[in-house]
Amino acid sequence: MPNSASDRCNHLLPAAWFAQVFAVLLLIWIALNGFSGLLVGTMAALAGAALGAWLAPEEPYPWRPLRWLAFAGFFLWESFKGGFDVALRALKPTLPIEPDFHQHAIALPPGKPTTLLISFISLLPGTLSVRLDQSGTELIVHSLVPETMASVDRLEHELSRVFEHARSNS
Amino acid sequence: MTIADSIALILLLAGCAFYLAGTIGLLRFPDVYCRLHALAKADNTGLCLICVGLAILSADWQVAAILALVWLVGLLAATVSAHLIARHAHSAGRVPARSGPSRR
Repeated sequence: MPNSASDRCNHLLPAAWFAQVFAVLLLIWIALNGFSGLLVGTMAALAGAALGAWLAPEEPYPWRPLRWLAFAGFFLWESFKGGFDVALRALKPTLPIEPDFHQHAIALPPGKPTTLLISFISLLPGTLSVRLDQSGTELIVHSLVPETMASVDRLEHELSRVFEHARSNS
Repeated sequence: MTIADSIALILLLAGCAFYLAGTIGLLRFPDVYCRLHALAKADNTGLCLICVGLAILSADWQVAAILALVWLVGLLAATVSAHLIARHAHSAGRVPARSGPSRR
C-alpha cells in the first residue's frame, strides 16, 4: 500500500467518520421523530458523531455515496432474487437442492469490506456464509446448488468497487 | 378501493406468501444450513414487501421512513444470526445433507 496515499486518508479519517456518522444519525432521528425537536436531534447526532470519530477503526476508506447507491440497487435486486429462489425451491415437490460446503478465497481487504461480504452473502441467492478461517482469507460458504457460488464472486466484485481506496494513486 | 390500496394489498399478500414459503422451507429442508437459507432469505424478502405495502397504505413519508428502518434492522438481524447459527453448527461438526429427500 502506498504510504503517502494511506497517510492522507488516515489524516482525513476522523473528519470523514464524523461527517458520516452525523449524517446517518440525523437521518435516523428525522425518520423516527420528524422535524420536531430537530435541535435536540442535531445535538444528539453531534455527540454520537464525536464518539464515532473518537472510536473510528483504522480503515481509511473514502465515502462514496453514489457507489453505495449503486451497490444498494444491486443488493436489493439480488436479495429479492435470493428470496424468490429459495421460496421456489422450498415449494417445488422435487425439492431441487444439492447442498454442500465450498471454499471461497476472499480477495477483499480485511476489516469492513470482509465483514460486509460475510454479512451479505447469506442474503444472496443460494449462499450462506458459515465460517471464516483463522487467517481471515478463506471463507466456507454453504450453497443450495453449486451454480449459486457465482453470486459470491459478483458480490465481491461489487464490494471491491465500493471500497477501492487510494489504489489509483499507487 | 383506490389503485394504491390495491397495490398495497398485492404487496402484503406477496409478502405473506414469502413468509409461508420460508416456513415450508424450514419444515422441508434436510439440515440446519438449508433451513437457515429459507429463513434468512425468504423472510427478508417477505418483510421487504410487507414494509413497502404498509408504507403505500400509510401514505406518510415518516411512517415509510420508520418502515425502511424496520426492514434494515430486520435484515441485519437475519443475516448476522444466520451466520452465527451456521458457524456454531459448523463448530459442532454438522456436515451438510448431501441430497434432498427426493433423491433417496
